[in-house]
Amino acid sequence: MVYRKIIHIDMDAFYASVEQRDDPALRGKPVAVGGGGRRGVVAAASYEARQYGVRSAMPGFKAKELCPHLIFVRHRFDVYKEVSYQIREIFREYTDLIEPLSLDEAYLDVTENKKDMPSATLIAKEIRERILEETKLTASAGISINKFLAKIASDLNKPNGQALIGPKDALSFLEDLPIEKFYGIGKATTDKMHRLGIRTGKDLKSKSKIELATWFGKTGIWYYHIVRAEDNRPVQPHRVRKSVSAERTFFDDINSVDTMVATIMPIVEIVYQRLLKIDRFGRTLSIKVKYKDFSSITRSISFPNEINSLEFLKAETETLIRQNINIGDEVRLLGVGVSNLSGTILAGEQLEFPFPSDLEKLDEP
Amino acid sequence: MKFSVSSSDLLKQLQLAAGAIGSNPVLPILEDFLFTVSPNKLTIAATDLETSITTSIDVRSDGEGTVAVPARILLDTLKQLPQQPVTFNVNDDNFGIEITSSFGKYKLAGENGADFPRIPEPDSVDTLTMSAQSLSQGITKTLFATSSDELRPAMTGVYFQVDFNKITFVATDAHKLVKYTFSEDIKSEVMSNFIVPKKALNLLKNALPSGDDVTMQFNKANAFFSFGDTHMVCRLIDARYPDYNAVIPTENPNNLVVSRGDFQSSLKRISIYANKTTNQVILSMNDGSLTISAQDLDFSNEATEQMTCTYEGEPITIGFNAKFLIEMLGVLEGDEIRMELSTPTRAGIIIPDEMPDGEEILMLVMPVMLSN
Repeated sequence: MVYRKIIHIDMDAFYASVEQRDDPALRGKPVAVGGGGRRGVVAAASYEARQYGVRSAMPGFKAKELCPHLIFVRHRFDVYKEVSYQIREIFREYTDLIEPLSLDEAYLDVTENKKDMPSATLIAKEIRERILEETKLTASAGISINKFLAKIASDLNKPNGQALIGPKDALSFLEDLPIEKFYGIGKATTDKMHRLGIRTGKDLKSKSKIELATWFGKTGIWYYHIVRAEDNRPVQPHRVRKSVSAERTFFDDINSVDTMVATIMPIVEIVYQRLLKIDRFGRTLSIKVKYKDFSSITRSISFPNEINSLEFLKAETETLIRQNINIGDEVRLLGVGVSNLSGTILAGEQLEFPFPSDLEKLDEP
Repeated sequence: MKFSVSSSDLLKQLQLAAGAIGSNPVLPILEDFLFTVSPNKLTIAATDLETSITTSIDVRSDGEGTVAVPARILLDTLKQLPQQPVTFNVNDDNFGIEITSSFGKYKLAGENGADFPRIPEPDSVDTLTMSAQSLSQGITKTLFATSSDELRPAMTGVYFQVDFNKITFVATDAHKLVKYTFSEDIKSEVMSNFIVPKKALNLLKNALPSGDDVTMQFNKANAFFSFGDTHMVCRLIDARYPDYNAVIPTENPNNLVVSRGDFQSSLKRISIYANKTTNQVILSMNDGSLTISAQDLDFSNEATEQMTCTYEGEPITIGFNAKFLIEMLGVLEGDEIRMELSTPTRAGIIIPDEMPDGEEILMLVMPVMLSN
């Protein structure tokens, strides 16, 4: 069997590290990018801040509570973008099969590479050295046989480290892995897994495809395969993100509209952070609501211009929720998405019909 | 209760209903058929809670009642039997089912029919009747253009616009769009719009008989399709359909008329050389000639063909996704098609040069951005 060689490169505390690089006064100090305003959220935290429990997507006031001497700085996306392009140029010297996930993360397929280097570990090491040399920033890397494992591997020796999960170790590594460490298994799924007696990869592996499908739907089938190190998703260099979304399943069904509005706000913030991270904004906002009986609805609203303000996103999400949830509805999942993403149109990009948005229509006589 | 029926007749009806059963049912009972036995009649129902199919068959029965029967095991059993009478004996207390064939007996565990979800009934509905063939045409000509993007739920179905004796089917995925209007042999006294999900239409397309009429009923929540002994119900997509008329361009000074078959064959060859991600082909038109080309820089592949055409307008070079064009040309009929264009970044119209009376079709496709 011929295995692929996939590297996942992840910059260490990217935004915060760029700020510390450019302002010596911030070095060695707890720094949060964003979150300084009255209702803002932290976009990134330096490692010094993380020691206090400060995390991205956390409201600024909460971060301040955890770490009273936290220094808040404004984000400078133009600078982050520039560094991101610099890094991609380094990747391109090794392979054209680069799939950027955001400004600070990318998958590389180096099975065949421009330097004919047989060792992916050495390639990752070289790339990290080059990044440090050219940008004065550190990166971590994960090397493995597929995207799923490479992504997990890059976290193992973070920051400024790398890890290899080779084909021989993959299965035993996954068996020993606690279920919450599987990328893509969030809090709600972890709780459900624990209730089903699944605590490690080994427990997961003992379940049949049918059991997993019954409990988790299509995602269950995905779990069945990944725990067997089966992930054939290719590294897709031309993937264009069309939408960004996030959702949460609740342990107990929610039936108060006010609680739903309060609960969905952190999800809106996460979506907003993701938009900032991929550097694109969209014109269409959608909410997804799954009810107790598993039926679900999606409601959306489009605007003539891109939505680039978090406050606006929050206000419109609240309106959508209030318009579409009836008193007494019991809800088990809420999601928020932004689509119709903008950005410079690239050669080779499929254009879309310019459907008029609902808002524009209101202006007509 | 007990009933006897021909194995192959039953299998045919079961296969029809089985289309409604989902691949990952949320409740175990949704993997079952609901059998309802009334005097000398068996009614079969299946549902995934979104789409339901009900059909019936004549049987010789003794007793009445309902039972939920595991679909997979029953279908597999009947498939392995040569045509012959089979007898079903249902224990009304524990819902155990015993099937008797000429070869032997097969026992399987059923479930209480009362636990099966209720299939929606037509309630305060509007009604329309049209021939099964016309409905089938409407579905075939539009279904391919629907989207799979869950964030745009409206586009994951076909938009039905009923306007008394005229019906328009519209589908789009924001890249391509089809509008098909049919106005012969339709009996209705209503005006209404609704979006039918694509799963239901796929099932309907395969289930529609060739001859009969179809009765279509609809209210705010559901659409009901009835033909022969079969009824299909689907939950409508509750979303606002995009204002598609607004994107149909009206000023298109550049007009190309070309043989549909030749154009499609050429695209099929050229697209082999196109970039696999974008499927981009480039059309260059000027007086009397159409050049079709593609290249894939990553592999140094490229191809060019030239064909004769009738062209009126300024010379234009425009990129399209070859897959979309090939699909659209395959759905259209007639020897020649007309392409109406304005600029390389605006939607192009594709229409057949002629259409049968009472039918109209318009296709629209957005270009792929050219470099420079």
